[in-house]
Amino acid sequence: MHGRVKVKSTAQQEEEKRKEREKKLKAFVSARDAVLRKRSAGEHDEEALQLTQQLLSSNPDFATLWNYRREVLLQLETSREKDEVQKLYESELHFIEACLKVNPKSYGCWHHRSWVNTRLPQPDWTRELGLCDRCLSLDERNFHCWDYRRVVVKESGVSVEQELQFTDRLIGSNFSNYSSWHYRSTLLPQLHPQPAPDSIHSHRVCEEQLLKEYELAHNAFFTDPNDQSAWFYYRWLLGREEMISCVYVSRERERVSVAFSKPVHSEGLMLVLDGQPQQVEWRSTHPRLRHSPVWLCDLPPGSVSDISNEHNLTVHWTEKYTHRDCALYTGCAESWCRDSATDQELFRSELSVEKSSVLQAELQSCNQLLELEPQNKWCLLTIILLMRALDPLGHEKETLAHFQTLKVRKYYHYLNERYSGSRK
Amino acid sequence: MGTQVKDVVIKPEAPNTLLLDKHADYIAAYGSKKDDYEYTLSEYLRMSGIYWGLTVMDLMGQLSRMNREEIIEFIKSCQHDCGGISASTGHDPHLLYTLSAVQILSLYDSINVIDVDKVVDYVKGLQQEDGSFAGDKWGEIDTRFSFCAVATLALLGKLDVINMDKAVGFVLSCMNFDGGFGCRPGSESHAGQIYCCTGFLSITGQLHKVNADLLGWWLCERQLPSGGLNGRPEKLPDVCYSWWVLASLKIIGRIHWIDKAKLRSFILACQDEETGGFADRPGDMVSSLWNCHIQFCICIYILHVISLGLAILYTELIILCGTFLPVLYISIQVDPFHTLFGVAGLSLLGDEQIKPVNPVFCMPEDVLQRIGLQPDLLN
Repeated sequence: MHGRVKVKSTAQQEEEKRKEREKKLKAFVSARDAVLRKRSAGEHDEEALQLTQQLLSSNPDFATLWNYRREVLLQLETSREKDEVQKLYESELHFIEACLKVNPKSYGCWHHRSWVNTRLPQPDWTRELGLCDRCLSLDERNFHCWDYRRVVVKESGVSVEQELQFTDRLIGSNFSNYSSWHYRSTLLPQLHPQPAPDSIHSHRVCEEQLLKEYELAHNAFFTDPNDQSAWFYYRWLLGREEMISCVYVSRERERVSVAFSKPVHSEGLMLVLDGQPQQVEWRSTHPRLRHSPVWLCDLPPGSVSDISNEHNLTVHWTEKYTHRDCALYTGCAESWCRDSATDQELFRSELSVEKSSVLQAELQSCNQLLELEPQNKWCLLTIILLMRALDPLGHEKETLAHFQTLKVRKYYHYLNERYSGSRK
Repeated sequence: MGTQVKDVVIKPEAPNTLLLDKHADYIAAYGSKKDDYEYTLSEYLRMSGIYWGLTVMDLMGQLSRMNREEIIEFIKSCQHDCGGISASTGHDPHLLYTLSAVQILSLYDSINVIDVDKVVDYVKGLQQEDGSFAGDKWGEIDTRFSFCAVATLALLGKLDVINMDKAVGFVLSCMNFDGGFGCRPGSESHAGQIYCCTGFLSITGQLHKVNADLLGWWLCERQLPSGGLNGRPEKLPDVCYSWWVLASLKIIGRIHWIDKAKLRSFILACQDEETGGFADRPGDMVSSLWNCHIQFCICIYILHVISLGLAILYTELIILCGTFLPVLYISIQVDPFHTLFGVAGLSLLGDEQIKPVNPVFCMPEDVLQRIGLQPDLLN
């Protein structure tokens, strides 16, 4: 349905085309009817494989045929030895590859390939990875292939480092590389998570790797400032992660409340009281809500009730390698604990202010680029975000000026209005 | 430095008014020639094709021109023992066509011609341990199917039969660094999937989980200089994204971030003035006279070099003109799929000649009101 061209031509050429189509249609209809007849009759044999093969090569989206084919293969399995089954499914892989050459974007083809690998006594994941490499070299944006690659990588235990290197190669060599940057965003947190337990604001990635990623992104958009993929990725690098925004303790209620910057799952939440991990049950404000911005738990009875005692609480969120401390002082019935900077951060922008020196350096880079490409909207937007994270009031004039340059896009109007609210 | 932005150019001759009557005629006649090549080859998605045709006719106030009885009988014949519904007779049941069938029957207020309880069982049975939904018994997982499942159940008033928490958890696990969604966890963001996931989150009351500003930015950056929308970065615009991107923006309350006037002119340019219907992108008018002139000159030169006799030269010229002149322009093929999404997109943009369309279900609002369905939208 997509990208088909209608070409007007002479009456003679029209007639020839019509005749040819009629012929093709007749062939299709007769093959289709033969297959469906066979299936109704419950026949699961070699002929069924031949007939479906004919049709699927040029009609890979005819899903029912793949289903029939699977039924036949399962039936044939029952009467074959293991090595014959291996051969049966290997030849099936050859067939699928031929179909993929004709249509590399058929959901049916790729799913069938995954299915075949679950039936193969000995899948060859190296070959499958090679297929992905070839397919991606023809079209780096083929998401079917990327999704299949993820399955292959998982099944065969290919290392995250190897896949990161793969994305390095692709990003370096291709113009349209959003898929590679995206893949990178999923690989990095697996490889270089923020080390526990120091940081309050966790990035998705530890600082050393983060700096390398900044450099990678710089190289990309300095080489080509219109490479929007690198800018999207860059914005993510600068972005903030979910964090614990506040912890509250009440002696009277013997309860702890934890607030997050956005709805989260309670898995990985741990409470430590005076150095001792506590067995507690976390609940959200709604009994069935599994994702909540606020989680509560009850402390063991009597543990904090004596107002003459001081207590130190720490809420650990092991999933994100982050924690928040809260001190409950003598004579105090309750205690709040949050970053004094937190409110402003959440209010100001989405960017982290933890490493302002890093952000300052980023701002300098972007300003350099802006001198070369004064109209580049990606650059302008990033500069605006960075300036606001670092020093919104100090940069107010510049921010306004950049918004003017960005002109028409309504999104930038929205940002401008949101930020001008905070200027007042 | 500076790569070319992938985009199309709309020619000045492109249509710029809405040709609703032509589109209604096109759809009404579509499928009447049962021996049509494209029609037969697309049998594997017939149920969805009918849904596209009926919905766009209803949006244009022309539903009565379609053959209601024939369609209802057809749907009945497509429900299988397991409760699932197939695209056509002799094809296997699938969630995609189960949803399309339920949507059609909702349009016709005839949901009870099929066994509703069995449909519900079929959908419920496709939910997996991790909350995801398979498309059918063969196990393909995709967030499109999560959407199909909840949309089907919502239309039937039976959302409570599935494990909602897990279903939501799975969809959220498909959220990416850019705020968008893909087919499965780890899959790249794509406007079609984003439509399915924001639609899903709307139906299940979980839109607050979306980072509306971040996703809204990604979505509004789908708009290209031509005014058209693409489905993800560095891709060409396509009229069907006028639906998927626009509906997603409407659901998350950011539709005003699109340049509406430019998008409207792009969509209108995708119309085919001769046949009616919309194509995926605007037709491309090649300058006919200039091309012919060049080809003509080349041929004359070659002929002179070969030094043919005058009579032969004369004959050759006639043949050449006959071959080259008629290649006047290249235009793109229309189909019901792009026709629906072009018209639905225009409706979302506020065209008053078209009925209001619901951005979650892609069905006329009045149908959903009749059913009593009002999925959340962010503002």
